[in-house]
Amino acid sequence: MDARLNKIQQVISELNGISIETPFSSDSDFIIVGKIKVSLDNSEEILIFDVRIYPEYPLKRLDTESITFSNSSFLEYGHVMGDGSICIHTSHNIDLKKKIEIDINSLKRWILKYYLNKENDNHYEHIILQPKEFNNIHFSYLFTEVDYSFNKNQFGFFDYSKINDGLYLDKTIANHIVQNFKDPFSRIITECKWSNSIKQIGNKNMGLFVFLDNPPTIRKKFIISNWEDLKSLVTQDFLKFLDNVQKNNQKIKGDPIPLLIGYKISEVEIHWQVAILEIGKFPIESFKENQIWKGRFIDKNIIWCITRNCSYNYFFGRGKLGDKITRSKILIIGVGAIGSIVATTLTRCGCTRIDIVDFDIKEPENVCRSEYSFLTGVCNKVDDLSNELFRISPFVEIGILDSGMLHFYSKILQGINNSKSKLEEPLASYDLIIDCSTDNDLMYVLNQLDLKRLITMSITNNAKDLVCSVEPKSYDWVMNQFENVLENDLEDIHNPTGCWSPTFKASYNDINTLVQFAIRHLNLKFSDDSKVLRNFVLKTEYENEFNIKLNEF
Amino acid sequence: MDKSLHLDSVIKTHQITKEEKLLNKYKEKNKEVKEALEEEYGDNIYSPFNSGSYAKNTAMNTKFDFDMVSPFKRNAFGSKGTLKEMYEDLYDFLDEKYSDVATVRKQKVSVGIEFHSDDDGDVVKIDVVPGRELNQDQYSDDENLNLYVYYKYGNYDAGSERIKTNVQAQIKNIKDRATKEKESIRKIIRLLKVWKNTKYNYPTKSFFLELITIKAFDNKEITGNLWSKLETVLEYIRDEVTKDSFTLKDPGNSSNDLIDSLTESERDTLSYDMKNMLERIKDNDENIKTYFPENAKFLVEQKADNKYENKGNGFYSAPPKNERFG
Repeated sequence: MDARLNKIQQVISELNGISIETPFSSDSDFIIVGKIKVSLDNSEEILIFDVRIYPEYPLKRLDTESITFSNSSFLEYGHVMGDGSICIHTSHNIDLKKKIEIDINSLKRWILKYYLNKENDNHYEHIILQPKEFNNIHFSYLFTEVDYSFNKNQFGFFDYSKINDGLYLDKTIANHIVQNFKDPFSRIITECKWSNSIKQIGNKNMGLFVFLDNPPTIRKKFIISNWEDLKSLVTQDFLKFLDNVQKNNQKIKGDPIPLLIGYKISEVEIHWQVAILEIGKFPIESFKENQIWKGRFIDKNIIWCITRNCSYNYFFGRGKLGDKITRSKILIIGVGAIGSIVATTLTRCGCTRIDIVDFDIKEPENVCRSEYSFLTGVCNKVDDLSNELFRISPFVEIGILDSGMLHFYSKILQGINNSKSKLEEPLASYDLIIDCSTDNDLMYVLNQLDLKRLITMSITNNAKDLVCSVEPKSYDWVMNQFENVLENDLEDIHNPTGCWSPTFKASYNDINTLVQFAIRHLNLKFSDDSKVLRNFVLKTEYENEFNIKLNEF
Repeated sequence: MDKSLHLDSVIKTHQITKEEKLLNKYKEKNKEVKEALEEEYGDNIYSPFNSGSYAKNTAMNTKFDFDMVSPFKRNAFGSKGTLKEMYEDLYDFLDEKYSDVATVRKQKVSVGIEFHSDDDGDVVKIDVVPGRELNQDQYSDDENLNLYVYYKYGNYDAGSERIKTNVQAQIKNIKDRATKEKESIRKIIRLLKVWKNTKYNYPTKSFFLELITIKAFDNKEITGNLWSKLETVLEYIRDEVTKDSFTLKDPGNSSNDLIDSLTESERDTLSYDMKNMLERIKDNDENIKTYFPENAKFLVEQKADNKYENKGNGFYSAPPKNERFG
């Protein structure tokens, strides 16, 4: 250990502009600590930092740096954490000497940018807080947008629904969804913009909210820690409201009740933090002033818990399909392996209006290559899938079409009277119909209709090829691919329960690889107005390595 | 498979004479519209004539509509009358006369009359293209006409009066060629029209395909069997249509360049479609069947012989070859 300590000390002392203020030493946890002085070439200023170097160094510790530079007198500057440590992200290097050089350079860049030049970043920096537990349990509240502008000092109730409990590190976490906001008389003022299915989640409970003019912060980025520090931000009306709520809920004394504290983070966006109160122990006290009831917060630490903005743009912020697809009203016909993969992909990628139709029953043996789960047993595919999709996105509206009606109008009434318009009318309301049914007869019938965009997707045995039609009137093209062009090896098929129910052989991986490839291609084409969509086939090859080739027609 | 044999069958099954009954209905309606125009416009009109594929002998039976040029005299709508007035007047007349029995629409340079389907379910469609001679009584000498552009297409702006053209010269562009070459050109044009018909709302007009085919014949050595001739034309389109210097002069008016009827990206798409088509047919001859499909209606049925012995017909326990999976 001494050798490591000496090496660190030596490397740091030899760096340009750095001198050692307090020599480095190793503490009982093998953390090397010391103090350095840093000066920049073009500045007179000399800054002092506490340096902590963790045993992992130069490797990373989980997702944080294993070296910290801190000085609690720099809290007002950008990218400084509550303990005064500078928030730097540095490059990977396994060589101790080089890594120290890189990290000291990062520190110097911070000094120049945020200390000397006092730069402000354009993006909003959310308030830094460390969530605490209440009675050993973490609480989270997931919120989304509302079509409503809250006023300064507005307060009232909100409803939330409990969803799954889980583990947050080593503690239990109780998760909740914010459903609506109500005025102090419990009248709903606005609903949160979730899907209808989310709105229908029961298990509702009541919380409180107050909307502030300014974020509850110290130095603009650290959340206040004591209720007393909130006193200048709230009104007597709000304190009286709290007092009344507590008095009216004595029966549930000891229960936690969330208080959402809202504030604007831009002209168009608001954010909520949550503090947990305990009925019977609200952090307020009252006194009389000129015979009038007055309230105030007491000196008590605030238990801040977890909130997450889950509004559409945050939820899908890391990646989604292009707007042309996500804003479409979509129908997926047939939700077997391909159809269920398409449905979950579209849902995860930001689509919000998806209808599905299938007559089939989900069996346990479907699970291995589709998006279904074992635990839901034997049931209708459409019901099972709609539950899966509902669990993925709080914004997706799933409709289930009557497969009997589709069959009736497409097959039984084919060619009779106005069966075409009876079928065409509802289908023409979809921007995108993705037929994954692999039903040649249905494809033939759909091919006759005037639809906005009909896509069919199917594969050959062993998922050797994926055939995707996107152009109108493509029935002949698809049939020609299967009948005359592609190799569809039908000798090697899977007969699980006898020859009456043969099926193809291919794994989830085989199928999904092709379906994702196809969706990526479709998305790129849809997103580029200068390009037109053409029918295509994905051909796979394996000789020395696996290849997929997309052939457009 | 023999690609040329297939293409021959494509042409045969698309021959307009196969649809004799429907063709006669067209001829009848055509006559009726022609007479109505002559009656309505009297001395202000020259004899309307067919100008489209039927006149050029490149028509096909899956999608045929008659194009009729209606040549107006310069002063038909007054000495200060505009081409717009000509277009609107013709539309008003046809709409008034036929709106009970047909849908009358304003189209790019024509007025479309789509007669409601008759008892056989047949629909007759005639596009009337109004054109006006350049100077009073000059048409008999030069056959030149000015057309009115009703709405924007390609690089022509809506209301950008006058595309000057000479429809007779356009017709002669094919008719006056040597018989052997003329036949090859017509076959290729018909095939390209069959291909275009597989696409939805493809932006190239049939006239464009005609001119580019003729230009390919003028610029390339086009020999061999039918497939090889078609292939050379497809390659020509693929390679030339995106070039900045490429022009496609209207034989009726050399200052009218048909390449302007396509936008840049439509030109790219056309070239790309040719490239894909050539590549896919090279990958597998069978792909030719969906680019250039036969008209199943007139396909002579192959005799079904012992089909139950064929693998993959789905008769026994194995599913048929055309079973799709997913």
